[in-house]
Amino acid sequence: MVETAKKKLSPLAIAGIVCSAVAAAGIVFWMIQLSGGMVQTGMRNLDSWGLYITCFMFFVGLSAGGLIISSMPKAFGIQGFGNISKIAVWTAISCTCAAIGFVVVDLGGPQRLWELFAYSNLSSPLMWDIIVISVYLILSIVLIWAMYGEEKGKVSHTALRVLSVVSLVTAVLVHSVTAWIFGLQISHEFWYTALLGPWFVSSALVCGTALVLIVAIALRKAGRIELGQENIVKMTKLLGGFIMVDLYFFGCDLLTSAFPQGSGLEVVQMLVEGPLAPFFWTEIIGCAVAAVICFVPSLRKNGLLAVASALAIVGIFCKRVQLLVGGFQIANIDSIAVTGPYATTANTVGGLVYWPTGIEFMVTLGVVALGGAILCFGLDKITRK
Amino acid sequence: MRYGMVIDMGRCLGCHTCEVACKSTNNLPEGIFWNRVYNDGGPSLDSPTGTWPNNSMSYYTMSCQHCENPACVKVCPVGATYKDPETGVVRQDYDKCIGCRMCMAACPYTGVRSFNWEDPKYVLAFATGDAEVPAHQKHTVEKCTFCYQRISKGETPGCMVLCPGRARYFGDLDDPNSEVSQLIATREWKRLLPEKGTNPSVYYLV
Repeated sequence: MVETAKKKLSPLAIAGIVCSAVAAAGIVFWMIQLSGGMVQTGMRNLDSWGLYITCFMFFVGLSAGGLIISSMPKAFGIQGFGNISKIAVWTAISCTCAAIGFVVVDLGGPQRLWELFAYSNLSSPLMWDIIVISVYLILSIVLIWAMYGEEKGKVSHTALRVLSVVSLVTAVLVHSVTAWIFGLQISHEFWYTALLGPWFVSSALVCGTALVLIVAIALRKAGRIELGQENIVKMTKLLGGFIMVDLYFFGCDLLTSAFPQGSGLEVVQMLVEGPLAPFFWTEIIGCAVAAVICFVPSLRKNGLLAVASALAIVGIFCKRVQLLVGGFQIANIDSIAVTGPYATTANTVGGLVYWPTGIEFMVTLGVVALGGAILCFGLDKITRK
Repeated sequence: MRYGMVIDMGRCLGCHTCEVACKSTNNLPEGIFWNRVYNDGGPSLDSPTGTWPNNSMSYYTMSCQHCENPACVKVCPVGATYKDPETGVVRQDYDKCIGCRMCMAACPYTGVRSFNWEDPKYVLAFATGDAEVPAHQKHTVEKCTFCYQRISKGETPGCMVLCPGRARYFGDLDDPNSEVSQLIATREWKRLLPEKGTNPSVYYLV
């Protein structure tokens, strides 16, 4: 039996191997970026962050849903979503690894990473994030280990419940701290708002739940798990609710920015009709359509639910783009013209201050594939019969 | 002690000499500027303000504001950018910088911090300026240091020495008798983005 299992690879394992190969190719491109210089990217002095930090925010968010969906029912002692707890936590672990990968590829001096631990400056939100993400990753791994332990009777139910509560708090903290990297910076009008923390949590819940939903539907279709439709419906309703909260927060922020008709109006115009409008409207329309699919019972079919989840994930990615590029789009001092090869790149698209280059897309693909490989190998093991 | 600079906008000719002086004093690589001259009128060189015939020409120079409450220092995860406790100068340790560019995102003064996006390239085959200037490193952030290598020897920053209009003054803002404190006390001045609460140490006489 063991021998035949070894010979025949499951589709998940094959996907994992393909992802590993892509991740390896990504490492090559990362090395090219480091040796030739980050001048090969689209980032410059006036837009000092780009696709990598956008994806960092996005993947930190994606990792939320999994952990919250599996730990919330346990923490509050309410009925869960069927036997998907371990799968959900594993999506969280994979996405956290990808998020950490994105920070590393963004660094100019990854060989100096050790300094983060030697010279930690505890007043920096970036340092807070590094601490909280490390704790989050370790906790997720302990949580999945405890879930197996509970099944075997080695870990008590109470211990698992306590662990779930701690994980839930950490998950909320991780997203708040990631928001504070941006939200505490008075330098950018768009970023500096107290709403950013809660808003990051709500966006994380949207895309994280959507990811778990897609994974659950796909695994069920492939016959790897058995999951009652009522659990899918429960998650769908939850997703719809999260989307509404996220859109509500966006509405609050737009209104607060625009109403005084001061400098905040410039931010709203940039989003609604300016260079970031394509991302803004993709998010708003995508999320609205996803919410309709989630709320109308007759539309809750597997295919459509996968579409709704994908729309929600794309919508939240567009939000991350708006936040990052939008922050750099408006300069604080109007009349200045910081020019030269290191100020901004010439190859910007649609009036955006930043647009990624080919090497950034390749490295990004590599990091996503790293997360994908971890996800596929893990799911293969978890759902093996 | 808190070093600061006072720039008399009425005396500035817009000649860009300070920009060049800064580059040569600190041996700045090609394409890197720590100090720039802008005009209120627009992005092109010497753009006048206003519409014909009511035009005027005014300039201001822009470099690190050496804030008393610097946004960059707080966010650096490894403390590579720090405020010198003795002089109040905001400094940058190239050997420590991990290249995360958080300080650039946090600084409200658009464009004063610059990152070496590739191996530093130089127009000249030899280094210019002061011997004590630390070597520029790829993938690290740098900016105006108030010419720390010069002020620590009791000299004044390079931009100030070469200014033909004598528009720049440098000294201790904490000493009420210093030339800079006297100018601030007697002349009308402004600072850049006061609403950000950074309390910059660069004053512009208007």
